Amino acid sequence: MPTSAQDGLSNLEYHVLLAVCQGPLHGYAIRDAVEAESAGALAPRAGTLYRVIARLASAGLVGETDGSSEPHPGLARRYYELTAEGRMALADEARRLEGAAALALQRLGARP
Amino acid sequence: MRPFFALLILTWPRAFRARFGAEMLGHAVEECDSAFDEGWGTGWRAVLGTALDVLGAGIAERLHPSWSGISGGGVDFEMGVRTMMGRWMGDLAHAGRTLRRAPGFTAATVATLALALGVTGGIFGFVDAVLLRPLPWPGADRLVYVVASAPGSDLPEEFPVSREFVVQYEEATTLSSLGAFNDFTSTLRADDRVERLRQSVVTAGFFTAFEVAPVLGRLPTPDDERGVLISHALWTTWFGADPSVLGRSYEFADGPREVIGVMPEDFRFPRADVAAWLPFSFTAEDIANPGRFGEFGIVGRLADGADVAAVERELSALARRLPERFGGSPAYARTIEQHVPVVRPLRDEILGPVSGPLWVLMGAVTLVLLIACGNVAGLFTVRSEGRIRDMAVRRAVGAGRGDLMRAQLAEAVVVAGLAGTAALGIAHLAIPAFVRMAPDGLPRIEDVALSWSTAVFVLLAAAAAALLSGFVPALRAAAPDLARLRDGARGSTRERRWGRDALVAGQTALALVLLVGSGLLLRSFHELRSVDPGFDTEDILTFQFAPSESHLVDGPTWARFHMDAMERFRALPGVEAVGIIENVPLDESLRQFPFTAESTGAVAEESGPRLGVTFAAHDYFAAMGIGVLEGRGFIPDDALVGGSVVLSRGAADLLFPGESPLGRRLRNQGIEAWHTVVGVVEDVRQDDLRSPVTPVAYYPLVGPEPRSWAMTSPGYVIRSSRASSLGPEVRAIVRELAPSAPLYRVYTMEYLVDRSMVQLSFTMLTLVIAAGLALLLGSIGLYGVLSYMVAERTQEIGVRMALGAEAGRVRRMVVRQGARILALGILGGLLVAAAASRALGALLFGVAPFDPWTFGATALAMGGVGLMATYLPARRASLVDPIQSMRGG
Repeated sequence: MPTSAQDGLSNLEYHVLLAVCQGPLHGYAIRDAVEAESAGALAPRAGTLYRVIARLASAGLVGETDGSSEPHPGLARRYYELTAEGRMALADEARRLEGAAALALQRLGARP
Repeated sequence: MRPFFALLILTWPRAFRARFGAEMLGHAVEECDSAFDEGWGTGWRAVLGTALDVLGAGIAERLHPSWSGISGGGVDFEMGVRTMMGRWMGDLAHAGRTLRRAPGFTAATVATLALALGVTGGIFGFVDAVLLRPLPWPGADRLVYVVASAPGSDLPEEFPVSREFVVQYEEATTLSSLGAFNDFTSTLRADDRVERLRQSVVTAGFFTAFEVAPVLGRLPTPDDERGVLISHALWTTWFGADPSVLGRSYEFADGPREVIGVMPEDFRFPRADVAAWLPFSFTAEDIANPGRFGEFGIVGRLADGADVAAVERELSALARRLPERFGGSPAYARTIEQHVPVVRPLRDEILGPVSGPLWVLMGAVTLVLLIACGNVAGLFTVRSEGRIRDMAVRRAVGAGRGDLMRAQLAEAVVVAGLAGTAALGIAHLAIPAFVRMAPDGLPRIEDVALSWSTAVFVLLAAAAAALLSGFVPALRAAAPDLARLRDGARGSTRERRWGRDALVAGQTALALVLLVGSGLLLRSFHELRSVDPGFDTEDILTFQFAPSESHLVDGPTWARFHMDAMERFRALPGVEAVGIIENVPLDESLRQFPFTAESTGAVAEESGPRLGVTFAAHDYFAAMGIGVLEGRGFIPDDALVGGSVVLSRGAADLLFPGESPLGRRLRNQGIEAWHTVVGVVEDVRQDDLRSPVTPVAYYPLVGPEPRSWAMTSPGYVIRSSRASSLGPEVRAIVRELAPSAPLYRVYTMEYLVDRSMVQLSFTMLTLVIAAGLALLLGSIGLYGVLSYMVAERTQEIGVRMALGAEAGRVRRMVVRQGARILALGILGGLLVAAAASRALGALLFGVAPFDPWTFGATALAMGGVGLMATYLPARRASLVDPIQSMRGG
């Protein structure tokens, strides 16, 4: 069941999109980026990670590229990049999160 | 690892696998590899975590597909896995078919491995439940046990502390909490049920240190002196797990207490059979007389950052200041100067005594498993030699070395798989049998069962056995000289025989190690049985009952009750003597107190010799067969008048060295009134047959005052040739005298003797079984190899005989070859046994680890059985018909 942008993104989906936002990455690099950018909160293992990638790819939010600059011996690695649609979905989600965060800070500020 | 994850990925939907399979596999392997760089623990956690994730996500993907795309370019993964799996499946199927065509071979190998794996699994069930599983309390590895030692003093090697230590130690900063406990057996009375059960007084810090909460009710408050917490077992057996037990009062060791809580089922400390914990408190002000050692064991929780050594240092410093704070005699100050605290992890304290024997058994069954693998490997090798031409042909037509090795290993895998499954059944039957045989005090024995971890262990051991027993034949299959053999050349027999001979010599060595071990234990058992306990072990029945008649209020009323009861028992037909004793030898241990003899006068009490104290009456010494050496035993008057005391020989020597103690007076720290010695009796072994005799002072049933003491439920001792069948008659009399009093701890003295040796007899019996199996398997191995040798050399033997060799010479030739292998194995076995017999350590009694008699006798036995195994092949060789053999070749 493909995720569409209106459904909102899960936390892990959001972080995967965030990871490939700056340029194409292969699976393992995505994992490392997700772990670093979520401050260690998310560290998806192989099965979970590739399900999310598959879901994002099915929804057209990430695409596949051959842009491998560092050929890897042995395994042919595939690189994933953000599509235009993915960029919009990420921006929407970021704005939504920003709004939610602002609301939270405002409420916390009102009640010290 | 790659094939493992590849297998898991096969659970995913085909389309997903085709697109992401190879990537996911690479990812999983890379993740685990980098985790292993950080250490084994992290690595295995990553393997487990990733495996569960791949499996779970695969199932999720099948239920809710996230990949709608079309497969592309993933063929390599599918192909790779399928080829690899396909080859193995093909080999396994082929192995299955060939094994079915050789039912005798299959049955022999499967049965050998299954038996060894089953026994190994059974013992592993013990090791796992008793030793490997963590203690059931939070942060249990931070709990420590503290006792005292005073090297150079006449105190025991280790002894529980006195209460001023507890107060002083509470200031320790290296322990975040600390509790003291003292357990004993005492009467517990609830409604119409009475029994002597283990109870323990505990200070409030005891529960804090363990960080356990009751399953029902609450923990005691610091000044809760009349509450009690009961064990889960007591709650279910006595009170039917009724929650309304809370708030009710029952008679515990020191009078009525109100039940305030029920502890969890797995909370069993200080002993597995503790039925109740009685909160108890005292402060520095309560301690008027320091130095009553032996009162409290201490359990503490390490503070953050502290370790055992730090606790030892701090407690040592704290203890030094005890005389300064609490005063006490010069003797006390001297003891404190010699005092060294002993701190050890609680785990070691609880499991230490049993870990040695259990690991010995685990080692023994592992040896049996190795021998079994050796046998199966031998059988496989023989079998593969028979097919050497077949393999050479396969090599010639292009089969790779890997293919042939896989084909060989596949057979071992099938055999081990079948054996592993059968072994689960054997372990399932063996574990309850082992549990029944096991010693009473084995901690956590109630958890021993065919658990998941045991099942996994058996299957892993089966996999290892498959590798071990399939490896040598598989290497043979891949040997470079194989190609030479295809035209029927026999190759070098000598070279090939070498591997098999070494295998059998190795088996012989391992079997001999087990034989030596069980021989040493058998001798210990024999030595222990021939120890003179100081009393007769036959024709004696002991039991207890706890009457609660209302007229029984003080020492004299109880004494009269027991004297009357003893007369009743004495009147039973066939009863020769009846007596009572507070602590039946080999059943209960004695409390010890420092004694003072009147003549030595001024010497401070705590420096006097420490003697065991118990109470006895009537014909106790005659009933037990304890010899009276001087003066007399107790007479009925002693029980009702008091004031007299009987010493054991050791006690008399300690208190009155070189003089007669008769008529002399003595007292002790617990019983301060002076008592006059009326007799000296033979020493007895109180705790077990290994420990030295305990010097004892026997006091009469009544003290100087009616309320001094009362024997409420002493042990009765009846001497009769009908000891083992007196039960029903005794029961009838008890019902008459005290209708509501239950009869319990009904034992014959023979039973108590057996029970005191059960740890040794359990280890011994199991080791003897293992050694027997090893001997059997080892000789089968030898027999197999020699039979094969004879079959292989039939032609040669035929030629020799045709040339006039006598049958006897041919027989000798075969036996000589067997003897060479045996000798090599026995030599190796003796060397290994000499290195390993120390592991038996504390189990041995009266025999040295290198006992030459045991080593010699077992080596001879091994040699004898081995030579018998060579006989059949030798006979067969001598019956070779020269004509037949040459035709058949």
